[in-house]
Amino acid sequence: MPDCTAVEMHEATQVLHLSLSEIGALSLRAIRGAGRTWGEAEEGAAAACWLARAGLDWANALIGILSRPASAPGCPLRAGMAIADSSGLSDGASHRGQRFSELCHPGFLLPFCAYAAARSGQTLRLNWKGATAVIAPGEAPTMTGDMDAVGPLAVRLEPHASTGTARSCWPRVHLGTVEPGQYAALNALMLRITVPTSADSLAGAGARGSDND
Amino acid sequence: MTCAGLNPMPQARTFRRDPDDVMRLARMGCNHPTRLSFLRQLLRRMQSEGWGFDRPVWDIDAQGVGRAVYRAIGPVRTYSLVAFAHDLPDDQRSDRVIATAWDATFALFDGTPDADDLDRLAANVPLQEAGRVTPNELSLSRANRSVRLFDHVVESLARGQQPNADMLLETGYLMRTTAVYGSGKFGAADRAAIVERPEMRAPFQAEMLSVWLTRSFTVDLVEHLARARGGANAVRLAPELKRGLGVGNSTGLGMAPFLIRHPVLLNNWMVAREEALARVRAQEAVGEAEFAGFLAALRAAQENALLWASAHPIQRAKLSDLRDGLARTMAHVTERWDRYATHPWDNLWRWGQTSLPLEGQEALLAAMLEPHGDLIDGLGDCMDADEEAHFPIDGAMRVGDLRATLRTHYAWALDVDYTAHEHSARFWYISEDKLEPRLGERFDEPGAECELPLDTGRQAAALWRALEGKPGDMPVAHLLLAHPEHRPALRRAQITGRHPFAEIRDNLIAADMLPIDLLRCKLAFFGATRFDPRSDRWVRISLFQGAPYPEMMTGRVQDA
Repeated sequence: MPDCTAVEMHEATQVLHLSLSEIGALSLRAIRGAGRTWGEAEEGAAAACWLARAGLDWANALIGILSRPASAPGCPLRAGMAIADSSGLSDGASHRGQRFSELCHPGFLLPFCAYAAARSGQTLRLNWKGATAVIAPGEAPTMTGDMDAVGPLAVRLEPHASTGTARSCWPRVHLGTVEPGQYAALNALMLRITVPTSADSLAGAGARGSDND
Repeated sequence: MTCAGLNPMPQARTFRRDPDDVMRLARMGCNHPTRLSFLRQLLRRMQSEGWGFDRPVWDIDAQGVGRAVYRAIGPVRTYSLVAFAHDLPDDQRSDRVIATAWDATFALFDGTPDADDLDRLAANVPLQEAGRVTPNELSLSRANRSVRLFDHVVESLARGQQPNADMLLETGYLMRTTAVYGSGKFGAADRAAIVERPEMRAPFQAEMLSVWLTRSFTVDLVEHLARARGGANAVRLAPELKRGLGVGNSTGLGMAPFLIRHPVLLNNWMVAREEALARVRAQEAVGEAEFAGFLAALRAAQENALLWASAHPIQRAKLSDLRDGLARTMAHVTERWDRYATHPWDNLWRWGQTSLPLEGQEALLAAMLEPHGDLIDGLGDCMDADEEAHFPIDGAMRVGDLRATLRTHYAWALDVDYTAHEHSARFWYISEDKLEPRLGERFDEPGAECELPLDTGRQAAALWRALEGKPGDMPVAHLLLAHPEHRPALRRAQITGRHPFAEIRDNLIAADMLPIDLLRCKLAFFGATRFDPRSDRWVRISLFQGAPYPEMMTGRVQDA
């Protein structure tokens, strides 16, 4: 059974507001810093931005996902990429549906399902215990229940006949929130792929000498 | 966006250049600003829409310390440059991103700031990266004085004299910006939040507006200090000298990976410019006004090339090529070019391809576009990009089609021996201190395990090898399940298949790769002049030199 890591919640004394581009850049580097491939980093960063726009806890999901090895079962990033990649195929998950016996942070599938819905033109329904999301092509999702569930949970993805009452557009929000502890955790992962600048590089970049001309 | 549906000149198609020719670093490193450059687009819009400008706040003391606000008032929205002037000791003045203090700091505010906004910005903007701004701000920037010239101008004006014109020409600006952050950096508004506004749709319009208003601030500041020092004896800067001043900019490796990380955007910039060139080449005759405008542009380019100085050996050689190329072009145009033949612009272009160095060819391009505003200015609307729409990988693509794409667009990369040191000598990384992109020497420095995925050629070649033995009808989704490491290269290949100008067709980790070529290309699209490399990885340039000031923008005036 997957061990879905629930991130220790710090007291929300001061929630930080990050722009979507900051969330994207931080997530990209943190995912890579956690040892995932650059391809996963790109996909995971785009997903984090999507979740932030939807008002979901992108940071908690990401930290939980990155605390486990990529090869461990139940990774929603890997599962999401496979759903999105297969969405243009007749035997893809968006046409045939898919069941996951145990998936951590199932809400992380939402952005990938949104792409799959858009690519296949098929409304999708994603549900797990106590939560349902309906995702119509090109529309904001309709979500009920706990989208930030940690899991592991049994998850079902299936084509959905009706577009339901999906909102016609996204809220005009271009920032996301993160708690200080989450921000520190993601920064720590990001710093794993940074390199001390060498003296030669600094010199070539103009750090030597005065600019008083 | 794609402008394919808006293209009113399908006959231009046959005159387009090949991406294999255009997307080479050696040529991109010779790019010149054109009338499609982003600062030119900004000035044209403000002129044609009759924007108004004022300075509602000027609270600067006799030592040059305080705050000011400059407003640009458009037909729908107002934007305000909030400027903070500081007293910076000489020993703290550094142009590079490593600096922590500056002569002046700025934010571009979305609207008109009230007193609370100004206090909030005063607590954060002077800190730059160490502070936070909000989605009410569209850019964050800073500038340092060009001390020798700045002091000379203040002293001269205080004495009632105009400064030495040669000194002004030699430096070209009173202050240099050392970073202009936009697009969500440090909490500022994301690009997505403003992209629907017509005045912000072209790339970097907020940043260009910020720099243009900063130019006014620099002149106001020297005149203010001259008055404080000289009292009634002080004079204002003569208009002709003032117009020749721009804003300097010092920039380096932090900017270089942008063109690689934004392939669709790069494609759209290039396609707009290439379509513009093709449209001009497709013209069947040369109009008298166009001929006069072309000659004027050539003369202006020659004058600019004479004033353009650099101490860097690479740039000195390129400047020599440029001056020589422009002289040969002028001689050819005035003595031998048959402008009454069919397709005269195309004939001229073809002559240039065989007779001019790359610097001269690209300068000819800029001059040919200059008198054709009616024909090409609309292409400026095609230079933004919905990058999110092009991000997803099409897993249904077949391996056979991917092979064909790689053969067509990545031939330059597939046969390179990346085990040879010279072909993989460098690696791009993120610096620990400033979290900025840097370039390391793979075989001499540690850190290659943290390499950024900017080795586009090597990745494409690895993907090509991974396709060996795979059936042609296999969906790439199946390949990615087994080989997720090829995801970035596959995504780039799919993008390039749809956008042939998306990929720089050179090895970006080769020993002989020059980062300044990346910078030159991007800065030319900004509209930068006087490209002056200080090493192979950082440069100084000038923006808005010769452009009008806000007080000259009332009503329809001469195009900038």
